[in-house]
Amino acid sequence: MMNPDLQALITTLQMAGLTTVILLIIGTPLAWYLAKMTSQFKVLLEAIVALPLVLPPTVLGFYLLIAFSPEHLPGQLWQQATGQQLAFSFSAIVIGSVLYSLPFVVQPLQKAFEQLGDSLLEAGSLLGAGPIDRFFTIVFPLTKASFITAATLGFAHTVGEFGVILMIGGNIPGETRVLSIALFDHVEAFDYARAHILSIGLLIGSMLLLAAIYWLNLPKKAKRKSRVN
Amino acid sequence: MKNKEAQLDINISVSYSNFNLDINQIMPLNGITGIFGHSASGKSTLLRAIAGLEKNLSGAIKLSDSQLVDTEQGTYLKPEARHVGLVFQNSRLFEHLSVLGNLEYAAKRCKNSQLDINDIIELTKLKPLLNNHVNQLSGGQQQRVALARAILAEPKLLLLDEPLSALDQHSKKALLSMMLTIQKQLNLPMLYVSHSLDELQQVCDNLLIMSQGKIVNFGNIHQVIHSLNDLKKDDRDEVTELTAQQTSLSLPIKNVCNEYGLTSLSLKDGQAIYLDCDDSYNKKTEQLRCFILASDISITLTEPVNSSIVNHLLGTIVCIQQNKNKVLLTVECGKQDFFVTISSFSQQKLSLKIQQQVYLQFKASAVRTFIH
Repeated sequence: MMNPDLQALITTLQMAGLTTVILLIIGTPLAWYLAKMTSQFKVLLEAIVALPLVLPPTVLGFYLLIAFSPEHLPGQLWQQATGQQLAFSFSAIVIGSVLYSLPFVVQPLQKAFEQLGDSLLEAGSLLGAGPIDRFFTIVFPLTKASFITAATLGFAHTVGEFGVILMIGGNIPGETRVLSIALFDHVEAFDYARAHILSIGLLIGSMLLLAAIYWLNLPKKAKRKSRVN
Repeated sequence: MKNKEAQLDINISVSYSNFNLDINQIMPLNGITGIFGHSASGKSTLLRAIAGLEKNLSGAIKLSDSQLVDTEQGTYLKPEARHVGLVFQNSRLFEHLSVLGNLEYAAKRCKNSQLDINDIIELTKLKPLLNNHVNQLSGGQQQRVALARAILAEPKLLLLDEPLSALDQHSKKALLSMMLTIQKQLNLPMLYVSHSLDELQQVCDNLLIMSQGKIVNFGNIHQVIHSLNDLKKDDRDEVTELTAQQTSLSLPIKNVCNEYGLTSLSLKDGQAIYLDCDDSYNKKTEQLRCFILASDISITLTEPVNSSIVNHLLGTIVCIQQNKNKVLLTVECGKQDFFVTISSFSQQKLSLKIQQQVYLQFKASAVRTFIH
């Protein structure tokens, strides 16, 4: 049998990876919509997106647990569609993570889109580029750094998640038992040696990830500086 | 890109809370059409409406056979489908691409392209800059890239929204003359917005004057410029306030750079106008565009044979307009109207009358031109 901590690491990476991909797919259009929105409802929508930043994760987890249970509509629909219970499943913790990490992806992208403005997009349209073409040939290359930041923050924040997962995922090895939960288990069992290994691992891993991102964003700026001189 | 009979039929209104644009005009599109007006007169809004960037618009715009927009019929072509190019005041180049990358961006998206990218690079003299990053370019170079990029999309109409306003005099001259060459070689109609009448005078065939969101005048460049001279018009309204009274001319070159360094132009009756020679004139330039400020011309009753001033033309006064202490004379010399402002003191002293024959005199350096 596999080392349970290694299995928790694999589950964590799978959860965080999948969550990041889903967040980029739904977060990008949402951020775009928010950046271009002019109506008064913009403030309301922004507040909803930012909610997970201030809300205790257990509150979000509690409501999701209720929604995901077979007695309630989202849980029922899921069960009908997949034949499996949603609560305490891998899918549940991915959905929970997507909601919980949403602002970490949407906010940097929204800011980047707002800063980019319309002028280059107008120029692109007059050169014959349609909306999708403009997104991939103008918007994406010019906001690439923000995409990297958004993906990193989304990934790292999901890896560090605890409260939501505990509420809706429980502690099922190979399914919902992620590193932060495994760590909690070790502490509960007074197994400080293994808790240390996981803690130092998470600490160093997070450090390295952030350093890698800052490093990835660095060379371009450094190059530009040397060009100007 | 050949548009022998191209025309633009505009009937639109654009409304904002503090500004309304109302345009109803059919414009033949030959050569370069200038659009002149003070800031906030609606020049840029008009161009944005034609390009498809203006959303608060109702009405219809037709470019030759293609209906760009008709809000009653529910037709609205997106900017990318209009085949209209626009060069903005700020070049709006794509920072993540090189100069060549910017040019190829346009060329790649052009269906049935007829232009060779190398020809356009040649015309706009961009060859040495192709691999440069756009941030490394000067303002003039950036506008050259923007112009080349717009042309490579092969539009049916090219709009230019004050493309020279941020440039120094030298770059302005170079780019103006480049625009003229490109217009002639590609036969590409252009609408050129500027707040500098001097620039427009040098390159435009027709001129459109806008004020407060409306067209106040449209027609042949010289005629429209001369109409701005009129003193009586609302005591010099806000459009004429911006312009100096002047005579605007296109005249055939008689002699390029004689032994004294003067170039001569001929009027229809054979009288000559001399101006300072410029090395850049060549024999190919048949007609020279120039203008003479009304305040630079003086009147004498006898031929000024003993004067250092080289230009003296015999003409007939056809109109006298007085405004406070100034008098605007229209003098016809060789079927060409010249406009002269003098003080009412001088007018009294010489007791000038309609149909009287007088001599105009002005220095060679008063005949202004800045490209060719």
